[in-house]
Amino acid sequence: MTTGDARLYDLGYRRYDGPRDRPARAILTLAEFTARRVLGIGRGARHKVLPALTLVIAYLPALASVLYAVFAKDIVGGDLITYGDYMFIIGGALALFAALVAPEALCPDKRTGMLGLYLAGPLDRNRYLIAKGAGVLSAMLLITVGPLLFMLLAFFLAGLGPSVTETLELLVRIFAAGTLTALLYAALSMAVSSFTTRRAAAAVGVVLLLFVPTNVVRPAIESGGAPNELDLLSSPIAVSELAYRIFGESSDGSDPVAELSTWLVAGGVVGTILAGAAICWLRYRRLEGFR
Amino acid sequence: MSEARSPTVIAARRVEKRYGKTIALAGLDVDIGPGITGLLGSNGAGKTTFISLVLGLRSRDGGELTVLGKDPATAGIEVRSRIGYAPEHHDLPSELSATDFVRHLAEMHLLPRRAAVQRVNEALWLVGLGEERFRPVGLMSTGQRQRVKLATAIAHDPELVLLDEPTDGLDPMQRTEMLALIRRIGTEFGVNILLSSHHLEEAEQICDAVVIVESGEVVRAGVLADLRRGPEGLVVEVDGRADELAAILRAHGLEVTADGSVLVLGAAEEAYDAIRDAVAELGVGLRRLEPRGRTLEDVYLGTGT
Repeated sequence: MTTGDARLYDLGYRRYDGPRDRPARAILTLAEFTARRVLGIGRGARHKVLPALTLVIAYLPALASVLYAVFAKDIVGGDLITYGDYMFIIGGALALFAALVAPEALCPDKRTGMLGLYLAGPLDRNRYLIAKGAGVLSAMLLITVGPLLFMLLAFFLAGLGPSVTETLELLVRIFAAGTLTALLYAALSMAVSSFTTRRAAAAVGVVLLLFVPTNVVRPAIESGGAPNELDLLSSPIAVSELAYRIFGESSDGSDPVAELSTWLVAGGVVGTILAGAAICWLRYRRLEGFR
Repeated sequence: MSEARSPTVIAARRVEKRYGKTIALAGLDVDIGPGITGLLGSNGAGKTTFISLVLGLRSRDGGELTVLGKDPATAGIEVRSRIGYAPEHHDLPSELSATDFVRHLAEMHLLPRRAAVQRVNEALWLVGLGEERFRPVGLMSTGQRQRVKLATAIAHDPELVLLDEPTDGLDPMQRTEMLALIRRIGTEFGVNILLSSHHLEEAEQICDAVVIVESGEVVRAGVLADLRRGPEGLVVEVDGRADELAAILRAHGLEVTADGSVLVLGAAEEAYDAIRDAVAELGVGLRRLEPRGRTLEDVYLGTGT
């Protein structure tokens, strides 16, 4: 046995004098953790089902559109789906995600006491909410921006895409429409989730918030008594209309919101996003996170 | 507290906290130094409120508070990044493994990812969960969850660890092991620990100092050895003929107070020899011979010999 080069390493617990991250890093860490949890990454199979289903619903039309454009367009003619149509089509996937998947970001933290553990670290309530919002938003962007980028890339690779200048302009439109749509669904989902510790209750709340206003407002508008502006309360329809306009397209015009100016529609969508964020913020200001 | 224990880790001056009309802390005044300090008091005494103020999670209504040299009300993020906290509740994310859970919170406490991975393993081995580290927290026993919380509190190497009822739900064996672990972390690794508990015997076993809170005020605080020190003298307990023993000792010029089979003697150098000789002369059994002192319970209740 040689002893000259021998080293004895103590691998046990010891004090740490290495570098530490800046406090802002905690926001990124929590945002990444939230996005992974919401998408079921690193979790059991049952936690992956709903996110995977949502992504399949979101990406399937894009795949169909690309296949159609490559193999059948010359025979049938015309585009299968426009970018504006796509934002309307994925409304179902977004509603599913906002109702059943996104509440995972906030509800369990309140139920399990994780909120108290987070707030006992280098986070405050505002930073916590920013991190959670960023996590949910980044997961939602996979639904709103991801399929459109996939379509754009596939068309480009197949030689069916627009010119470079038009592609850059289209990219801006995709990110603008996708981000606004994701923000709206994320804000509504988080606002509802801030009221409950139960994901099921949040799911019911989100579904009611997304679909009840339409069924209440529409009869009032169609009977002639209420202004078209009330249709802005139908968040999925309002944000879909805004997406059409961002892409320079027009919807079928059957919705009352289609008769409003672009600025009014944009104002309505941004107002809904801000209202959702404000409700969430106010709820967490009052919430007893420490126990 | 004792000047020998400075510099101060937590300094509170006339700290007040109210919830509506309820006064939770009524001018709490205390200096907590390095080492292991027990924060004792009954339920509702103000312990948890004080911890929440130390963490800067609630705003105080009056007074001054510094933790590790900073005011947590204005430098909460900086203070909290230097603190480890293990809450009283056992509700932890059930499907996360102990490793993932502790690593996530270590990263949340600003430990770089690579360092977090290494230190999490070290912390989990230290608390005795090395073999169980990949097990989901939801499948762990209460004792194991308490250890996971302790690992969470120390993984990022904080300067101060706040432990809220760390032995809650543990059986006597687990409780002894947990207390030994906390003592080791405080002494071997030099981590300052504030242990909130309503079990006096736990504080008596492992704490260097205690702060006793009742109705939002500090009723006793200090180094444990100082608090337990009673008036000088000896306590003698025999199994019979105590009156005769007292008479013999008085004949030696000692000041003796008798209470049944227990005699309390004033301080005297020659007392030990006199007691030995008298007990031998009478042929009685000596049950107890010890310096006068007080238990923590005596301190808590304001009583004692």
